[in-house]
Amino acid sequence: MSTNDLPATTVEVTCTINGDPVRLTLDPRESLLDVLRERLALTGTKKGCDQGHCGACTVHLGGRRVVSCLTPAVQAAGQDIHTIESVAGPDGGLHPLQQAFVDNDALQCGYCTPGQIMSGLACIAEGHMADDDQIREYLSGNVCRCGAYCGIVAAVRQVAGMTQEG
Amino acid sequence: MRVDAYEKVTGKALYGADRVLPGMAFAALALARTGRGRLISVDTSAAAAVPGVLAVETHFDLASPGFVMGGGFGFQSLQPMTDDHIAYRGQPIAIVVAETPVAATEAAEAITAEYEDEPTALHLDSEGATTLVQEEAIPLPFLADLKVGDADAVIDASPVTIEGTYEHPPQHAVPMELNGGVVHWDGDTLIVHEGTQNANALRFGLAQQLGIDAANIEVRSPYVGGGFGQKNSLLVHIGPLALVSKRLGRPVKLVLARTQTFHNGSFRPASRQRIRLGADETGKITAAVHEVDQQTSRHDLFPAMHTETSARLYGLSAYRGRQRLVQTDVQTPGYMRAPFESPSMFAFEQVVDELAYKVGRDPVELRLANDTDTDPISGLPFSTRYVADCLRRGAELFGWSGRNPEPRSMRADDGSLIGWGVAIGNYPCNTAATNATLTAGEDGRVTVAVDGHEMGQGIRSTIALHVAQDLGIPVGDVVVQVGDTTVGTQHLTAGSWGTASALPSVHSGLRELRKHLDVADTGDVEVAPAVAAVGHAVTVHADSVGPGQPADALAQSMTGHLAITGPEYPGFVTFSWIAHFVEVRVEPTTCRIRVPRVVSVADCGRVASPVTAASQVRGGVIWGIGAALREESMVDDRFGGFVNSTLEEYPVMVNADVHSIDVDFIDKPDYRYNPVGVKGLGEVSMVGAAAAVANAVHHATGRRHYRLPIRIEHVI
Repeated sequence: MSTNDLPATTVEVTCTINGDPVRLTLDPRESLLDVLRERLALTGTKKGCDQGHCGACTVHLGGRRVVSCLTPAVQAAGQDIHTIESVAGPDGGLHPLQQAFVDNDALQCGYCTPGQIMSGLACIAEGHMADDDQIREYLSGNVCRCGAYCGIVAAVRQVAGMTQEG
Repeated sequence: MRVDAYEKVTGKALYGADRVLPGMAFAALALARTGRGRLISVDTSAAAAVPGVLAVETHFDLASPGFVMGGGFGFQSLQPMTDDHIAYRGQPIAIVVAETPVAATEAAEAITAEYEDEPTALHLDSEGATTLVQEEAIPLPFLADLKVGDADAVIDASPVTIEGTYEHPPQHAVPMELNGGVVHWDGDTLIVHEGTQNANALRFGLAQQLGIDAANIEVRSPYVGGGFGQKNSLLVHIGPLALVSKRLGRPVKLVLARTQTFHNGSFRPASRQRIRLGADETGKITAAVHEVDQQTSRHDLFPAMHTETSARLYGLSAYRGRQRLVQTDVQTPGYMRAPFESPSMFAFEQVVDELAYKVGRDPVELRLANDTDTDPISGLPFSTRYVADCLRRGAELFGWSGRNPEPRSMRADDGSLIGWGVAIGNYPCNTAATNATLTAGEDGRVTVAVDGHEMGQGIRSTIALHVAQDLGIPVGDVVVQVGDTTVGTQHLTAGSWGTASALPSVHSGLRELRKHLDVADTGDVEVAPAVAAVGHAVTVHADSVGPGQPADALAQSMTGHLAITGPEYPGFVTFSWIAHFVEVRVEPTTCRIRVPRVVSVADCGRVASPVTAASQVRGGVIWGIGAALREESMVDDRFGGFVNSTLEEYPVMVNADVHSIDVDFIDKPDYRYNPVGVKGLGEVSMVGAAAAVANAVHHATGRRHYRLPIRIEHVI
């Protein structure tokens, strides 16, 4: 059997991903998650359900956190996208929240961790860190099956405190 | 500290499906929509017409991988797409390969099939389910009925008796990393990137399925995004993927949809636990009977081992354990974290709680009064058993003395009923035969390749820490390689034997390395100068087996098979122990059950890696709370299979469900068990936690719950 032709309907999109301008020819059905992972090899963003239930694919789109599995890639048009790959400094130095995840052992298998960190950053930026319960609530879209939740809350609390002081 | 944390927080850690290879194509599965029957026809024409589709395959020439507990390599013996037999809903009937993931998914969904349906049996009590007595069906000594004395007669003659029947639902492990990965061929060599706890079984199982030499198969699984037993053997999608990749001459990636993982991997089977206990008026337990019916599939007998732990919990003079297997129309169930021990303790430790109430004794005091140094089954001593210390320390940390024993007697300011519950748990300490290769490099770094898989438990950290402490070098100078068949055997990592099995061979390798570096047997080593003095990098091999384990276990492991021993060893028996103290609050209006705090104290021998150990226990406790209050795989009575097969409808614990979990360790080494004094931890962490929650719910509400999960409607 020979390869069928690829779909005739494609959409040209330009956007910025982790600060770099990107031009993409998209199948309108493609998710942002699949485009990041399979076409741009940005595999730090994980697929845990592909249904918007687990949060492992969380990225920042236009400054807001989104589950990239439920975000059609065409929605990236003209937008700024940030993934876990952009969180550490260019020299590889960890962002304070990444360091706090390490310090508080806020991870086990590590698969949900990029999504947790992207949500944690958003949680802090949104101001949803009044107390532990609020942090828990606003991070409950990110499932950690290993159960590293105590460390995750401690890490976000630690950085939120630093942010408030600073 | 966790040595691979940097890779994990930056997204640099590469899991199976993170490989993006040139020319890679994407696969998707189509699944059977009947619960049991015969496949009459599969219509692939619409799928084949989807733009971008490269191949649609419905039949593969693949041998059975064999069932992992029957000397084989697969999570089940049945390999789909080899004949027209449908054994369970969700069994794959076709695989599609396309240029893009969306094209593959669209094509897979366009596949239709006609079936000749057959009646299904889906529950323990279903008509048509076949019940077998385990010791007759699988005549292996370790699966036989356990009998010491005449337990039934002792119970009948006891002044106090308690009995109860407890139902445990099926559950799914749902590790965050979906099953799947990338396969490709380099000439005649098959390379498999897939998250697994058993790279060895993938390698040798694929060799058997494909009829090729295992020397031509490489399995790479340096990071596993959670396993919990569901990734402990060869799954059914990899063989077909290997063949289709070969046919197309391209790397192929397949990531199962989350719903598909509920039917294409193992799960915790439904079980029914019937327990009878006899005691004197003080609550001293005289005898116990534990009878279990556990679900299995039609095509494999998944052995039940619930009685192994309940028999060892207390100092009993008589015990009888019997396990039966109930064949139903499902994929073969398997070893989800604390596979038998959590359901077993959920039942047994509630019965013990009931006994405490019946004789009017504090539940902690009653457990202490039933402590023992001797295994009731073998009559051998436990190598170490500090469960009494776990109970005492836990009670103190929790503030147990402030408990009013009367149910419904404690209330919070908001009107919530407060319940405090306790339970203990145990888990057998098995040992696997392992191999280690240690290399001291000219740069002073030490590389360790050893049997093991890193699935979050922190084995890489534990090994690095052990080597660093032994040689007196920075942890950062130790490189640990696990989960990769190109550097070592990679025996199954499961059953909490991973670290306790890998460390002894690493420990032995360190002694060997010191000899070859011509340095003292102990004390700090300047590795780079020592290597320079030798003139070249130094590589040594070492291996280890469990106490009394025959050395041919190593050869068994090197051909992909299980090579484990224990928990009964020559002259002693080894278990890990834990005590959980749980507070629940039942909210006044909604009756929602919350768990504001838990204290858990574990006896896992010497604590080899304090940071990762504490995280392991917290995770296990969260699993226990989830089992008690949330998790149930709902059987679809209409079509077979499981109906709540998403992370939305299969409710695992989320952040808002988890509050304070204090963890402590007894931290006393067990040098009879192994030379590093380390016992297992990951599984025992969960054992008894669900029972402690249930006992706390009883204390809060006055009601005993005989089936899980305990939901709002059960406490209204």
